[in-house]
Amino acid sequence: MKSVMIIFNQSNTARVEYMLDILGIKGFTFFEQVQGRGTNGGEPRRGTHAWPEMNSAVMTVVQDDQVEKLLESVRKLDLRNPEIGVRAFTWKIDEMV
Amino acid sequence: MAIYKTAIEKPVTTVLIFIAVIIIGIYSFIKLPIDQFPEMDPPYITVMTTYAGASASEMETNVTKVMENALTSVDHLKHITSQSKDNLSMVTLQLEWGSNMDEAVNDVRSFVDMTKNNLPDNCGTPMIFKLSTSSMPVCAYSFTADETYPGLDKILNDEVIPQLNQVDGIGNISLSGSPDRYVYVDIDQQKLDAYGLTLEQVGQVVQANNLNLSSGTIKMPQEQYQMQVRSEYIESSEIENLMVTMTPQGQQVFIRDIATVKDTIKDLTLDEKTDGRESVRLVVAKQTGANTVKVCREIYKELQKIQKQLPADVKIEQIFDSSENIQNSINSLEESIGYALLFVVLVVLFFLGKWRATIIIGITIPIALIVAFIYLGMADSSLNIISLCSLTIAIGMVVDDAIVVLENITRHVERGEDPHEASIYATNEVWVSVIATTLVLVAVFVPMTMLSGMAGIMFHELGWIVTIVCCTSTIVAISLTPMLCSKLLKAKKVHVDENGNLVEDEAEKKTWYDRSVVHALDKLDEYYAKALGWCVGHKFITLMLLLAFFVASLLPVFTGKIGTDFMQEQDNARLTVKVKLQRGTRIEETLKTARKLEGRFMQIVPCIELINTSAGSNDEATISAMFSSTMNNTIQMTIRLPRKWNREQTIWEIAETLRQEMARYPEIIEYQCTTSGFGGMGNNSVDIEIYGYDFDITSKLADQCRVLASALPGARDVKISRDDDRPDIKITIDKEKASRLGLSSAMISTYLRNRVSGMASGYLKDDGSEYDIVVRLQEKDRNSISDVLDLTIPTPAGKKIKLSEVAQIGEYWAPPTIERKARQRIVTVSVTPYKTSLGELAKQVQANVLPQLDLPIGYSVNLGGSYEDQQDTFNDLVLLAVLIILLVYIVMASQFESLRMPAIIMFSVPFAISGVIFALWIAGRSLDMVGALGVVLLIGIVVKNGIVLVDYINLMRERGYELNTAIQMSGRSRLRPVLMTAFTTILGMIPMAISAGEGAEMWQPLGIVVIGGLTVSTFLTLFIVPVLYGVMSRHGDRDKQESLRKKFIFMDLKVKKNS
Repeated sequence: MKSVMIIFNQSNTARVEYMLDILGIKGFTFFEQVQGRGTNGGEPRRGTHAWPEMNSAVMTVVQDDQVEKLLESVRKLDLRNPEIGVRAFTWKIDEMV
Repeated sequence: MAIYKTAIEKPVTTVLIFIAVIIIGIYSFIKLPIDQFPEMDPPYITVMTTYAGASASEMETNVTKVMENALTSVDHLKHITSQSKDNLSMVTLQLEWGSNMDEAVNDVRSFVDMTKNNLPDNCGTPMIFKLSTSSMPVCAYSFTADETYPGLDKILNDEVIPQLNQVDGIGNISLSGSPDRYVYVDIDQQKLDAYGLTLEQVGQVVQANNLNLSSGTIKMPQEQYQMQVRSEYIESSEIENLMVTMTPQGQQVFIRDIATVKDTIKDLTLDEKTDGRESVRLVVAKQTGANTVKVCREIYKELQKIQKQLPADVKIEQIFDSSENIQNSINSLEESIGYALLFVVLVVLFFLGKWRATIIIGITIPIALIVAFIYLGMADSSLNIISLCSLTIAIGMVVDDAIVVLENITRHVERGEDPHEASIYATNEVWVSVIATTLVLVAVFVPMTMLSGMAGIMFHELGWIVTIVCCTSTIVAISLTPMLCSKLLKAKKVHVDENGNLVEDEAEKKTWYDRSVVHALDKLDEYYAKALGWCVGHKFITLMLLLAFFVASLLPVFTGKIGTDFMQEQDNARLTVKVKLQRGTRIEETLKTARKLEGRFMQIVPCIELINTSAGSNDEATISAMFSSTMNNTIQMTIRLPRKWNREQTIWEIAETLRQEMARYPEIIEYQCTTSGFGGMGNNSVDIEIYGYDFDITSKLADQCRVLASALPGARDVKISRDDDRPDIKITIDKEKASRLGLSSAMISTYLRNRVSGMASGYLKDDGSEYDIVVRLQEKDRNSISDVLDLTIPTPAGKKIKLSEVAQIGEYWAPPTIERKARQRIVTVSVTPYKTSLGELAKQVQANVLPQLDLPIGYSVNLGGSYEDQQDTFNDLVLLAVLIILLVYIVMASQFESLRMPAIIMFSVPFAISGVIFALWIAGRSLDMVGALGVVLLIGIVVKNGIVLVDYINLMRERGYELNTAIQMSGRSRLRPVLMTAFTTILGMIPMAISAGEGAEMWQPLGIVVIGGLTVSTFLTLFIVPVLYGVMSRHGDRDKQESLRKKFIFMDLKVKKNS
């Protein structure tokens, strides 16, 4: 079991939701309006005057075999709209209730 | 949920809400009446008091002064003026424009009631009049006739007026110069004396034979009848055959033996001619609140119908029709609005290059304008010059908000976002700043609604309309615009090729637009960025150059190239000529001059369409008599010219030609040729007010003023308000002699009146109308002083004496009407400017006339008239400008959360003034009230450019760019939006500035001022604001880093390991 956190520009919301649906990932936690900035050229999303845009995040816990497919899709989404921006991070889940 | 999100999620509701708004707006629009100006009650109240037998100066001391003292405490009083004439005192209160007149009238009434006891015993009850717009004539027609002229009065009263009265909203209809039928019995004094008769006896005979009397009832066995003596005259000729007396010799004396009976029209006192033909003037007023245009149109239609029923020689011609002027003005303004709309849409299309985007932006204009109609409907206002001007001003501004929103959404969509999501999130990013920029406009226009005085009346509506329109446009921009974007904008088309690569669609193919316009704009951006780079590098030189430019631009003002006016006069194709001949000139002589003038005028100005002349006085106090003050020695002409686009000369040139003609006549002692006509709005004069008690001294001063003022090059129509002394014939009765003969002064005056003016002896009834029968002496027995002395007067003892036995006769000069203002006697010399501005003329008067007056102690001179109104209005507007600058500063300071940024932006305002000066100079115009208002508006309009620039530089700085780079980048990026908003406003104003329609003189200055100010200021703002930003920022930002370091001092700590 792995946790995948996808952080994306909020304009990508519909696309991310579609992606999860297509991949048959049912469970996730949605964080609306999160701030952040990227390390490698990622424009800050701070909801301020200078950086008015905002991100959202989805955290989903999936089986190990689904991770690769999910990351692949995220990569595709990033290819489609590199300027809008989407990132995904995974870590291991030890236990769950 | 935010408004834009709701709008995007519920497109049907959104569209339907706006459709509902549009429907209500169209409904209001259809219902709106058309008028020239917003409804305004002229703030004048007159208190009229009669006191029989008092001379002018007695009137002044006993009545006028008492009244004035009481009435000075009326609230909102601006000026108190009065006129004291023989038997009559008129105190006029001028209140502040916009005061509540009903309250004021009540106030006046209570003050009048309080003073009633202080008035002399025989005074009549003071009457209080309120001048209202409904008493002003809306149109006038002349009825000319040849053969039927004597019967014209009857035709008008019985046929025309009753039909016209059926028109909805019609007020008073009055006739002037209509021929009244009179039956005169002109008696020969000598024959009367020879038969030993008195005039009164004849009068009584005439009266006694003219009656219908009920003389009881006759009862017959079965029936009962009323018995009546019917002996009323059927024909006037019956009078001739009445027997007056029988001589001792038994000879019967009939009226025909001693008198001639004339069934004719009343003796000439007021002569009315149209194009030299006998005519009657029909003047129509409307009811308060009625639609002028509708009333006039209906009257015109009605008269067309009536014309067919009238005898063939009766012609109806229009003397003036105020609706024509209104309708033309409104039409030309509506045209301006139409063009403005078109231009604005074209500008948007030019800069955006996409028709979908243009539609989205364009749709905000009609919606915002339609909401203005809803406001007008709810405020019971009308479609008038002010409301339509406001809409023209607003058109250029309403698109700005929508453009900002649309641009941001487009940027998101072009990045590849889905239009639906892009619309939500892109609007979210900008909606607060869109509202903030609207607040700047609100800060400019809301204070305008609080203006007082005349300007308040005019600009109250403007303030509200622009505020409402701008707020509506903001609401549209954050609801309908994003909703339409989400539906109409297309996402960037991409597809995936067989290798799984992303392929952009052929949409990237360069269009004509990209190759030409975008290319040119890119070049422009580049040049601008370069120029800006140079300026930022040479800040001192740039600032010095700009300062030099500003100082140079002020030169035309200091060299007197820009004059000031109150309001531009309008060329409404109507001239009023007033001519005064020597005092006491007989009406017949006056008429000869009038005919001569008419003939000459027609000759020298062939394009004249109609001349309506009245001369003499109408002794009946009708409403129209209030507006035309003619005396025996005065001629008043209304001249109708073709519309201004149908003739070569302007109305002022024609007026000047006529003036030159009138100057050639020795018998004319005073003449004016004015262009304003009724309504009184375009009145344009400098009044020299001379205060002082002694008539001789003030009259002399006034005369001196007139001579000096007439010598000024730009002065025309110099007029002294005080009439010359009037020559009267005074009859002094020797009371002792009279009382010995059993006569009293009252009896003698009645006898005199009967003989000269005539004794009313009943009526001749004909066809339901009654005509006066007047018994009097024939004219040759009463038209010289010796004839008057020779009048026979009966004594109670039956003797007959001559007037010379009991009275002396003498000529003397009756004192003129005593005019007062601010409780002092006053005489006014008014001067009208020609080919110069009001302000210039006032300056000339101040420099060349006033210093030369030798004012004794207790006498003072003041400049008034339109000049005073102008000064008041300009003061009000300056105050307004200061208020607006402060408010705009506050709004901007809170927007930027900085006191420095608004100050930088405010530097664009002086350059707007430079632009205004240049524009006025080039157009050869003077600054008037409307233009000054334009200057005030500019404050709000030009700062918007600065806001856009500063906001973006701030953004770039916050994103961490170096100062100069940030400035250059922002300049390059914001050039287009700045140019776009400026061009929409400028082009929106162009139709207004170049419009040649009727009444255009009035609003042209507004267009000229805004275009000039905005053009120059936009261009210079692009340099001054970034440069000043550079000057004012560097220092502060270094400090900022230092202070941040100090704030987070913990970072400087050294951490010891293993501690």
